[in-house]
This record gives sequence, structure tokens and C-alpha cells, in this order.
Amino acid sequence: MADSLEVGRDLIVREAVCLDERRWDEWLALFAEDCEYWVPTWRTEDELTSNPQAEISHIYYANRAGLEDRIVRIRSGRSPASTPLRRTVHNVSNVLLTEPAEESLMRLRSSWTSHVFDPRHKKTDTFFGHAYYELRRTGKNWLIAKKKTILQNDYLPAMVDIYCL
Amino acid sequence: MDLQDIKLYIDDRPEQGVFRVNRDVFADPELFELEQKYIFERTWAFLAFESQLAKPHDFVATYIGRVPVMVARDGEGELGAFLNVCRHKGTVLCRTESGNRKYHVCNYHGWAYDSGGKNVDIKDRKDACYSAAFDAEGHDLVPLARFGSYKGLLFGSLSPEVPPLEDYLGEMKFFLDLALEQGPKGMECLPGRITYTFDANWKLQMDNGVDQYHLTSTHTSFMEVVRRREKAKTGNQVARAFDWDQRLKQEGGMFSFEHGHTAIWLNQAQPERRPVHTTLDEVKERVGATRAEWMLRLRNTVVFPNMQIADSTSLLLRTFRPLAVNKTEMRVYCMAPIGEPAAVRAWRLRQFEDFFNVSGFATPDDTTLYEDSQAGFAAPISWLQGYQRGIAAIEPGANALAREIGIKPVASLKGPYMIQTETCFHAPYREWARLMQAGVSGEKPYSF
Repeated sequence: MADSLEVGRDLIVREAVCLDERRWDEWLALFAEDCEYWVPTWRTEDELTSNPQAEISHIYYANRAGLEDRIVRIRSGRSPASTPLRRTVHNVSNVLLTEPAEESLMRLRSSWTSHVFDPRHKKTDTFFGHAYYELRRTGKNWLIAKKKTILQNDYLPAMVDIYCL
Repeated sequence: MDLQDIKLYIDDRPEQGVFRVNRDVFADPELFELEQKYIFERTWAFLAFESQLAKPHDFVATYIGRVPVMVARDGEGELGAFLNVCRHKGTVLCRTESGNRKYHVCNYHGWAYDSGGKNVDIKDRKDACYSAAFDAEGHDLVPLARFGSYKGLLFGSLSPEVPPLEDYLGEMKFFLDLALEQGPKGMECLPGRITYTFDANWKLQMDNGVDQYHLTSTHTSFMEVVRRREKAKTGNQVARAFDWDQRLKQEGGMFSFEHGHTAIWLNQAQPERRPVHTTLDEVKERVGATRAEWMLRLRNTVVFPNMQIADSTSLLLRTFRPLAVNKTEMRVYCMAPIGEPAAVRAWRLRQFEDFFNVSGFATPDDTTLYEDSQAGFAAPISWLQGYQRGIAAIEPGANALAREIGIKPVASLKGPYMIQTETCFHAPYREWARLMQAGVSGEKPYSF
């Protein structure tokens, strides 16, 4: 399954790089229209929330339209938290298949760190965690059908956006 | 300015139509220290929701100002609140924010307390060669000077010199009830922790939580997103955000109350977009038509000094805890009726996350601007002009609307939303000045 892992890793890294390079349309196009995008909160010091329909999430979208809203806001130039836009670098590592890949479905996990520089307030924040992906093949293309991001350092600064994760 | 005349940091001349706040109240570290002593350690503070302590031996660890405190339910089901420190060496006792423990054992030297705060073990006591004087001392956890519950919200005070909780909340209870009586079985806070900090003074949040004026400039990007959702029927439809253009045409107002509490309200153009609307018949039957109608209005409130309930884009309770003159810790809680249907709850959550989360569409724009304000306070302009919109429209005491609902505010205002009144800030700053002046003058903070 080495080839599958390579395909999966490529997509996961591409998602991160698109954010860093502000290629927003390309980033959106990596997600299936019906993708689930979820960043759960921590319920306690040791336990994550497990049900986005009953517990609060940092971000929860049941489809890509929620992510499109994000891009509209970033591009509007009218959000004080998003102008001037923060500069980011994501590092993605420890990508593994969490179960054997199927012909049109793979599940993988990754570890990620993002360094976020705010040129307005001259501050740098670091966010880090894991991410769990479900990738689906449609024709030749693999798309992200689910992404669950675990934010390990959840004592947050004054703003968090999709490009911080 | 002379600290002995500390009240002069608020330039309050109602007869001349002047209300100004000195920027030093946000920026002077000396005033910050006095605020800790004379405000946070001498007023009631929100601690937790009763729903967080449902079972015997449940506990929550939190802070009043800088002081670590805890709330615990004992084996008999009684709630108690204590300083969260071991009597032995002053070490913080509960090291997690919540949990369930019959006994709290200090990790340092092993002193143990039961969930009612009683000392049940001093490790190796019989070999300790303690004096009779030590044995005569109390070793139990130190209870908070005052502890009380109001309809599921738990409050505590480090000082005994506060009015009883219900008197402290006073006429503000009407607005608290509108949030706390939305469910037939009471309200709970939904699981999941959201805590964040911003590099600015706590009073920027105190103001902004009831600031109507910033909406159309701070949140233009959110308004743009929502307009697109309305027009193109795309984006996050689940959140059912309001049409903000309709909102600007509504009538609203302000009530301010004793002890620094304040409330703003606005008629709601699309009441069907509020989760409470789904149970309106039940609510009306239980609390009456007037209160039910008020639950559908948008309401933002400050319970002085550092708690807010907003029932606007979603139902939120937040606290803002000062860490330094230019650093504040925020905690936000999503409130919901206990036993709410699953579909309504999911909708409520999406609405909350959309607007109120620090990873959402509105809050980060606020907090970013608090930081810009804090940076701006370095400029030598003493008096801020942001406290005067609506000042000529104030009605002292109760207006007709207040009389109709049976509340006795200190001041009222009613008019078109576009007044975007800043008079709601007066009560908190008057109380700030009163408590600070009482502190430096060596007077009791309250007469009761």
C-alpha cells in the first residue's frame, strides 16, 4: 500500500501548502462538496468532545460551504483580524494510514505544526496537533471527504482561523 | 491624577451631558492593582453553572480575580465553595478544572480534604510532634466569604461585605431570568472548553459586549458573509444567521441598574431564527407572554464586573478575567435548555460557533481591535469620547417600558437602533469609580 500512502501524503501536504501560499481556490478544491470539517474542543484536560451535534466545537461544518464562507471573509479585506493577513508555515509529518487503503477510500492521520506570524502586532503563535483524514476517490481525483483536526494547545490567542490549523 | 480622588478618572457630569473615561483606567498598572483589591476581591463573581456539578463529589476549579477557588458538591449533595489551596503550604489543591473526587489530596505533602472541604487527614500526624496550638487551629479548606446560587448560576465573593446575592443582582434579575428560564427544566452549559486571551485590558470586553456601535464597522466582513448566505443560499446555512440589514431598522434601548449592571435590547426582525422560538408556546405558558416576548428580543448584558450574558446571535455566558493591565483571559459558555431536542441543539451550536467562537467570524475581529485600542492608549489623549452616544436621550429611572415590565432601572433609553447608544457603559464605570473611591478612602464598599 506504499503507493496509497504516497498519494494520501501528497494530498495532506498539498492542503497545508495551499494555506501557506494563500491559494484559497485550490485549497477549497481539495475538499469534496459534502466534506465534514471538524475541530473539536477539549471537554477536560484529557478528553476531547466526541459529538459535534451536542457539544461545542472550535469549528464544525457538515459540508464545504462553511469553508467557502471562510474564504469570502479572508478575501473581503474587511476583517480586522484578517488584515494584514497572517503569514504561516505548516509542517506536516507522521503521516500514516490508519487502516488498509481501499480502492476509493483511505483513512490517514498526520501530525502538524503551524507557525503564525501577525505582522500587525509583531507576534508569533504556534499551533500544533494531529489530523485525521478520510480521502475519497472520484474518477482519478482524490478529495478530502472528512478532516478532523485535534488542536493540542487549546489555550488560544485572540484569533484562530482555518489557516492557523 | 491623584489616587485619593480616584473617582475623577471618570468624568461624569450628567447635568452637562458629559460622560468621559480616562484612558489610564485601561493602561495604568497601579490602577490595575487597586482594581484587584477594591473590585474583584470585594464583589460577587460568577463561578460555575450548577449543571457542571450535577453529581455528589463533582468539582470545578476556577478563579476570582487572581485567587484560585473551587466549588464542590459534597456526599450529601450540598454545594460548597472554597479557596482552592491546601492549608499546609498554600499549594493549589485541585489541579484540573473539573472532575469528580470524594477526597482531594494535596499532591505536595498529602493533606486530604473531603468534598465538603473538611480536613480528613494530615499525613503522618501522630508522629509529627505538633504543638497543642497547631491542634487547636482549623485545618479545613477556607470557605469563600459568600457563596450563592441564582437559578443555576453559582457566584462567590472573597469579601463578606457584599449585599446578599439577590440584592446584588437586583433589578438585573429580570434580564438574567430571560436567559435562565428558557427551558422548563432549567439551563445548562454545553460541554467543551473555549478559553482564550487577548493582550488588552478587561474593560475593553466589558464595553464591547454591550457595544451596538461597532457592529457596522468591526463586523463588516461577517455582514458580507451573511449577505452572501442570504442571497446565494449558500455558505453555512445551518447557522441561520440574521439578516443584519433588517436589524439596523429596529427599535431598541438600554437599561442600567444599581451595582454596575447594564443591559441593551433590540427588537428581533426574524424571531424564527432563534432556537427559543421553537418552544415559544411552552415558554409563554410557563413565564407569561411578556417575558416570552422579551426572550425573543436581542439582549446583551453586563453583570458587573466581569460576566456577560448575550442572547443575540446565540445564547452565551462569558467571563473575562484580568491577568494583567494589558492581558485578559476569556471563557465562553454556550447555554441551552436542559433536555432540548437534538436538532435544535445542533442548530444552536452552529449559531454559537459561527459568531462567538474565537475561531468564528465575529469575535476575532473584536479581540484584535481590543489589542489595537490597548496600543493606542499609549498616546497622550486623556479623555476617550466613546461614552456619549445617546446621552441626550436618557430617561432617568424607569421609562414607560420599564414600568410596563415592572423593573426599576437607574436609567432607561428607548429609540431607533441607529442611536447605537453608549449610555449603557455609564453604570459599570460609575460603579468602578464608586468602588475604587471607597477602597482608597477606606470606606465600606456597600451599605446594606
